[in-house]
This record gives sequence, C-alpha cells and structure tokens, in this order.
Amino acid sequence: MKNPLTKRLPKELKSELGKYIVLFVFITGMIALVSGYLVAGKSMMNAYNESFDKYNIEDGNFESFQQLNSEVLKTLEEEQVEIYENFYIEENVKNNDSTLRLFSERKEVNKVCIMDGNLPENPQQIAIDRVYAKNNEISVGDTLTVGEKDFEVTGFVALSDYSTLYQNPSDMMFDAIKFGVAVLTDEGFDSFTDSNMHYSYSWTYNTPPADDIEAKTMSEDFLEVLSQNTMLTNYLPAYTNQAIQMAGNDMDGDTQMMAVLLYMMMAIIAFIFAITTSNTIMKESAVIGTLRASGYTKAELIRHYMTMPMIITLLSAVAGNILGYTALKEFAINMYYNSFSLTTYKTLWNGEAFVMTSVVPLIMMFIINFLILAKKMKLSPLKFIRRDLSTRKKKKAFKLNTKINILTRFRLRVIFQNIPNYITIIVGIVFANLILLFGCGLEPLIDHYSKEITSNMISDYQYILKAPLETENPDAEKFYANSLKVTEKSEEGVNVYGIVPDSRYIDLDLTSEGIYISNAYAEKYGINEGDTVKLRGSYDETEYSFEVDGIYYYPSTIAVFMSDSIFCETFDIDAENFAGYFSSTEITDIEKMYIATEITEEDLTKTSRQMKNSFDGMGGLLSAFGIIIFMLIIYMLSKIIIEKNAQSVSMTKILGYSDREINSLYITTTSIVVIASLILTMPLVSIFIDKVMDIALSGYSGYLPFYVPFSVYVKMVALGVVSYAVIAFMQMRRIKKVPLDIALKNVE
Amino acid sequence: MFIEISGIKKGFGEGESRVEVLKGIDLELQKGEFCVLLGPSGSGKSTLLNIIGGIDNPDSGFITVNGEKTADMNEKNLTIYRRKHLGYIFQMYNLIPNLNIKENVEVGAYLSDNPLDVDEILNILGLYEHRHKLPNQLSGGQQQRTAIGRAVVKNPDILLCDEPTGALDYNTSKEILKLIEDINKKYGNTVIMVTHNDAIKDMADRVVKLRDGMIRKNYVNENKISAMDLDW
Repeated sequence: MKNPLTKRLPKELKSELGKYIVLFVFITGMIALVSGYLVAGKSMMNAYNESFDKYNIEDGNFESFQQLNSEVLKTLEEEQVEIYENFYIEENVKNNDSTLRLFSERKEVNKVCIMDGNLPENPQQIAIDRVYAKNNEISVGDTLTVGEKDFEVTGFVALSDYSTLYQNPSDMMFDAIKFGVAVLTDEGFDSFTDSNMHYSYSWTYNTPPADDIEAKTMSEDFLEVLSQNTMLTNYLPAYTNQAIQMAGNDMDGDTQMMAVLLYMMMAIIAFIFAITTSNTIMKESAVIGTLRASGYTKAELIRHYMTMPMIITLLSAVAGNILGYTALKEFAINMYYNSFSLTTYKTLWNGEAFVMTSVVPLIMMFIINFLILAKKMKLSPLKFIRRDLSTRKKKKAFKLNTKINILTRFRLRVIFQNIPNYITIIVGIVFANLILLFGCGLEPLIDHYSKEITSNMISDYQYILKAPLETENPDAEKFYANSLKVTEKSEEGVNVYGIVPDSRYIDLDLTSEGIYISNAYAEKYGINEGDTVKLRGSYDETEYSFEVDGIYYYPSTIAVFMSDSIFCETFDIDAENFAGYFSSTEITDIEKMYIATEITEEDLTKTSRQMKNSFDGMGGLLSAFGIIIFMLIIYMLSKIIIEKNAQSVSMTKILGYSDREINSLYITTTSIVVIASLILTMPLVSIFIDKVMDIALSGYSGYLPFYVPFSVYVKMVALGVVSYAVIAFMQMRRIKKVPLDIALKNVE
Repeated sequence: MFIEISGIKKGFGEGESRVEVLKGIDLELQKGEFCVLLGPSGSGKSTLLNIIGGIDNPDSGFITVNGEKTADMNEKNLTIYRRKHLGYIFQMYNLIPNLNIKENVEVGAYLSDNPLDVDEILNILGLYEHRHKLPNQLSGGQQQRTAIGRAVVKNPDILLCDEPTGALDYNTSKEILKLIEDINKKYGNTVIMVTHNDAIKDMADRVVKLRDGMIRKNYVNENKISAMDLDW
C-alpha cells in the first residue's frame, strides 16, 4: 500500500504556499542567473578560444618607425617566426568625433569575422567594428566621413585581434565609443597618405608556445633580435595584449565569480531550509510523536519531511536551468556582446554548469535536511508528543538586569531565542549589501574617477612629438618622457616624466636625486615616501632604481616625476631631445604629422566613459537584485520567527496585550537586528568591496581609486529600511491574524 | 450583579454538521464569588468560559461585566476588557518559553495599572527560588503556579480557570486549588473554574452543571470545604 502520508504533501504545499513560493523564486532566480552566465560564458569562451586558430590570431605585434625592408624581414623570420604586414592608419570620424583604426583586407593573420552585412568590395566602402557601430548608432548603409573621405558602411565585423577595443596597450580601459577598428579594400586603404601610416607587423611563431611562461621567454628572445634590426615604437606580445586577452580573462573571471555567488546564495538558502525544517518539526512534533508511536519508522518520516524541500529544489533547478538556457543566457550574451567585439558563437551544453546549478544544490539540500531530520528523529515519540525537542540538557536562562523594562527584556529574549535566524538575516544583509553597494556605488565611483582625472590633469593639452620641434606658443612647456615597466608584480607600464625647473604645470620641488610618484602608483602598489622603486626598460632589461621623495596627486596615471637633468642623466638623453609639451592652450604651429600623441581630457576620461557604457543599466539591475535578496531573506526568517512564537503571540493576545505591543515584541526585535545590521555591516561591506576591487583591477593598467560617497551609504540604508518596512507591514498583518485559540488548543 | 450571562447560544460548523454547543445559557455571578462550571466533555463549559473571557463570540445573547456589555465591544475594547478585568489560567499553562519564571509573571504585571508585587507573588507561589529558571526546567505544578502568578499579579476582577488541574497529579492539583482558593479569599476576585472533576465543586461558592449546552443545575454550595480537604 502506498504511504498515506504522501497525501499530506499537497495540503502541506497549500498551507505553506507563501513560504514555498518564496523559496522557489529565490532558488530558481539564483540558478537561472548562474546557469545563464555559465552557459553564455562557456559558449562564448569556446568561440573565443577557437578564434585563435580559426582566425589565425597573431602571437604578437610590433611597430617600426619605418617600413621594414625585405632583408630585415628575412633576418627576423630566421627566428622561427612568420611576419605579416598589419599596417594601419588612424583617422578621425567626422560623424561622431571618434577615431577609427583602418586596416586593409586581412587574408592571412588576425582574420575578420563578418557579423552583419558584407566586407567592402570597392574603395568607397568600409566594414566597421560591431560594438563601435552599436555605441555610435551606425547602421549598415550609413555614410561615414573618415578623414576627408566618405565611405559607405557595408557591414559590421569583429577583428579577431581586437575582441576588446583597446586603442593603446597602456590604457586602463578599452574605449569602444570613441575608438573603433575598420576594414577597407586594399585600394581604399592605399588612398590614404603614408604620413599617418603605422608600420605595424604581426608575427606568429612557427612552433606556438605551450604557455604564457614560454611565450614570455620566446617574446623576450625575439625582442632582442628585433631591437637590433629596427627602431621599435611599439612591441606587444599577444599574451600581454589586452585587446586580445581581456575578453577571455573577463569571461573566465565572471564564471568564477558566478560560482562563488551561487555557493554563497546556496549556503544562505541551505540555512533557511535548515531553519524552516526545524520549525516544521517543532510545529508537527505532536503528529510526528503520534506517528512514531503508531509504528511509523524514522526513515519513513525522514523521507516524508524531506520530500517537499527536495521537490521545491528539484523544480527550481529545472525551471532555473530552462530560464538559464533561454532568457538569462541571452541576457548574459548581450552583456558580453555589448562590451566585447566577439566573434559568432554556438550555444553549448555546459555539464559543469548543470552540476553546479542542479546537482550540487540538490545534494546540499538533501544533506542538510537529512542531517537535521535524522538528528531530531533520534528523540523518543514521547518527547515529540510533549513537544520537548531539545536534544541538549536544559539550560538555565541567563540573567538580565531586572531594572530593564519587562518589554525590553522580552525583546532581548526573543533575539536570543532566534539567534540562528538573526545570524542568517545578518549574513543575508551583508550579502545583499555587497550587491547593493556595487549597484548603487558603481556610477558615483566612475563619476568621481572621471572628475578626479579631469580636475587633476597636468595641463589641458599634452603633446608627445615624433621629433623635438620648437613652438612659439607661450603657454607650452617642454618635458621629457620615457616609458618603463614595473618590475615587480606586473608588466604594467610607468610613464616617467622629466620636468623643467620651476614648472608651471607640475608643482614639485625636484631638486634632489629622488623622484616623486603619482598617487595612483603609490596606492596601487603600496609605495610610501622614502621607499625605493625599481623599474625596468620597456624593450630591454635595464633596471632603474629610484628613491621616492614624495607622492604627487595625479590619479589618472601610473607615473614618475623627476627633474629634467636627472632624467637626461638617467636615460642618457641629450637636453635638446625633449619628448613633448604641456600646454594650457592648443599648439597650432607644429604640424600634425610631427605629433605622435595628443592627450586631452577626452583621452583621459575614456576609462570612465567605457566603464559607464559597459555597466549601463547594471547599477539598477544589481540594486534590484540586492533588494530582492534582502526582502526574501528577511521575509522568510521573520515569518519563521512569528510562526515559532505563534503560541506566545496568541497567549499575549489573550492576556490583553494590544497588537501594537505584540508588534513591538516580535517585529521591533527584527527591526532592531535589521537596521543595526544594515548600518553596522556597512564598513565591513565597504572594506570587502575595496579589497575585491583591488584584486579585480590588479591585472589592469592604471588605477581606479575606491570611492563611495556617504550619500550612497545613506541611500543603501534608506532602501533597506523602506524594503524592510514592506516586510514588517506584512508580518504585522501576520501577527494580527494569529488566532487566539492557538493557545487554547495547546497540547504540550 | 457583577457578571450577567443572558441567553448565550453558540454553535460550530455548517449545515448538517453544525453542532449547537451552547443552547441558551443564563447565569448571574456576584463579585468575589467562586463558581465551578462542571460537566462532561462537549458540554460547552470551555466555550462558555471563552465567551466570558472575550476570546470567542456568542451567536446570540450577551454578557455584562460590571454593567459593561461585551457584545458592544470591538476588538480593541475586548483587548482592553481582557487587560483590565481578566486573568486566565489554562490546563496547559501557556507560559512564554523563552522568558524566565519571574519574567512570565511580569508579563502579566505589565498589563495592570495597579499590579501586585511580583516578588511577593513569587514567594506566595513558592517560586521565588526558581525565578531565574525557564518554564521547561520546572515541573508541571510549578509551571501551573507560574501561570497562576501571571494571572493573579495584575489583580484582575475575574479569574478564569480552564481545567487548571487537568494535567496535574492528585497532590499537585490540591496545592493548585488551594492557591486559587487563597487568592480568591485574599484578593476577592470572582473565580470561574471549568472542570470535569466533580470533587472540586465542594470548594465552590456556586456550582453550575452543564450538559448538552444547557445548565442542568445551578446552586449555591452551602457546605463549602477547603481545597486541602477535597478528595477524589
């Protein structure tokens, strides 16, 4: 005969519908989000990894001051590499005041993936990067004015070596709004003058390196040969090329972050299940006792009470995965496509995601419920009938000062009685606040960074020249510059400036042998005044050692400042070979062809611009997600607290306590815990995010200072309080509905 | 008349399964009177007690307490009525499990404008040395004494007792009954005690016997004896 207890299950579901709906939504949402990200991540990662072979992505590129002749190329290719011309021209796009890096047709290396439309077929046509096109609202068929020429957009493409649109390798962040890449026909490309040509060459090894360590050794060997044969202006092995690597690293990081998020959430859900299961046993103790006394085995009862949580988890896993493979996958894919210029992909079945989002949660729920039930079922039937479920020896109540008002003592006792619930609430609040801080703090953080950079620019205009040319502009001030690399921790570039005495733009006393470093450098690498920093040459192994005299407030760049005389002495440069000018006004008397780089406010704010674009809408989404988690956790646990105390609530009603007084006993305690947790855990959350950001951004060039305005914390607390008020209102109604006869029916 | 119960009717259920539990109860009680409501299970005595206590409503009829009609009271006023006039003692104590003994009594004291001294009550009830313990650390009798303390400490006009000895052994039952008797004498509360233990009628001023929702007997006990002299 079928176990008649199973007939109770639909009734149990009906009577606890609210609880099970909340748990279902909670688990389904979590699984859907994680599953969506993992499936999207794996599918995209697969496409990304395959693109290296499919599109023959380079092992590195270098730029020469001039075009290499066949003799040099032959010498280089003796190093077991294949060299490909990958020349480009950068031109301004008049339609949106952005920069396009133009390439000719790519037939052998870094091949092009057509995402929409066609490749250009005549010199008046152009195919542009898809992300750049989207960000600038360009459609196929539009006309773009590039330089002085008009081009018809024939299609959108993804260039395999520009999956992330970094204009310069030293940029902290890519810029897919003001910078894009495009492909022309060979004829179209040749129609531009040679004066702006970048003689960029890509190379591939005949025997590809096994890993990054080997790639590093091979690239260092190749660099040595290169620097003997040509005047390098840029050298970028693929393993350090952010334009190639970043998308992969980011997707990989997301997958790991999602896994951590899932397990944190599952731990919280497991805790909620543990508490609800204990609560169910308490509520059902008389029934359990009677059934046990009637001859039902422990195993039968354990199976019965495990069924609902397991069904809910199973249904959530199924629904979560369906959503994960459909809507949420699309959402995650779109997020990647919004930021990265990735090639086409195919949705792949992700076995690991299935295990993480379905098997692990089910096992977790099974173990937790089984352990709690098995432990409780050890009690005798009589104990269940008497509702005496304490497995430990009866403890004495701890003393509270009797001078404290009885209602306050009552509240304190409620808090101590429900410590596991409140711990879960606190953990949930910390977790929700982490997400909320990301959501609410992201935009102010980027805005602050942008403001800091623009208000602390050295000068409105900064020019790096191809040759040391004089200007008549009275505002111009010469400077010397070199690019070195941080020897420790990373390969990050450091801009080294040689500053003239009594500079109008850099207010520093640079008379000693020591140097000043930018605060971005100091904070990112934890360098203090008096420390010694060691740097090395970008294209050689020369090491430099400097003592830090002080920190200069320059948040945008990892930079070093020294006197011009020390600069020339250190790098063995003649005084007349200055690098460029700082100026408060535009320099107009030097021809553009002699200007290698012009740094303006727009260049410095590209990081914040792109970050804003990448995270567009994310702030609101994260905030909403944080609030939902916050509300669900508090709803579940405060509901349990009230259910657990229903008997006492009923009794206090009979005694003559008003609803307000009862609310003050059972809701105020939760309110105190919630509001105190909201406020007191804020520093913890803030420190945690600061550390996470340090770790997450350590691999990026530059420095993004952690900054959260006080108003964001106020907003978070306010959001928390308002959301809690909704829950508190619902719980007040629950208390109001507790019938008086619960106490009358009590059979202890 | 302190308590006047007039024409109280109460039924449960719908249609064919409807059961009339009280079929028209009329009863009058004096202030300070000790009344025992006797009857077998299902006679309606607990239902009547709950209606007097304002935690259940009659289908018809009314109750006045000191001239105030409970039927005219909304939920808020019923709460005030319970708060100001009533003390409740149940068979199963219904103590707040996470409060210690003294705090459980204080929960009652808090409701009164003129509460009795908590420590004095604890001493009277023999609970002073246990005041810091939790209810589940005490015996059934001690828990019932705590429930009595909680009901009495607010010095209520009416003490409603629903089978207060139903879960206790013979000796403990007699101790509890003695306590209620002493409290009735000392503080002059009107006591209405529901029981199916026929012996308890002997300590009452008034005995009301119910059966099938109707009063079968209602008389003043001329031969009242002390609780300690009861035997069953």
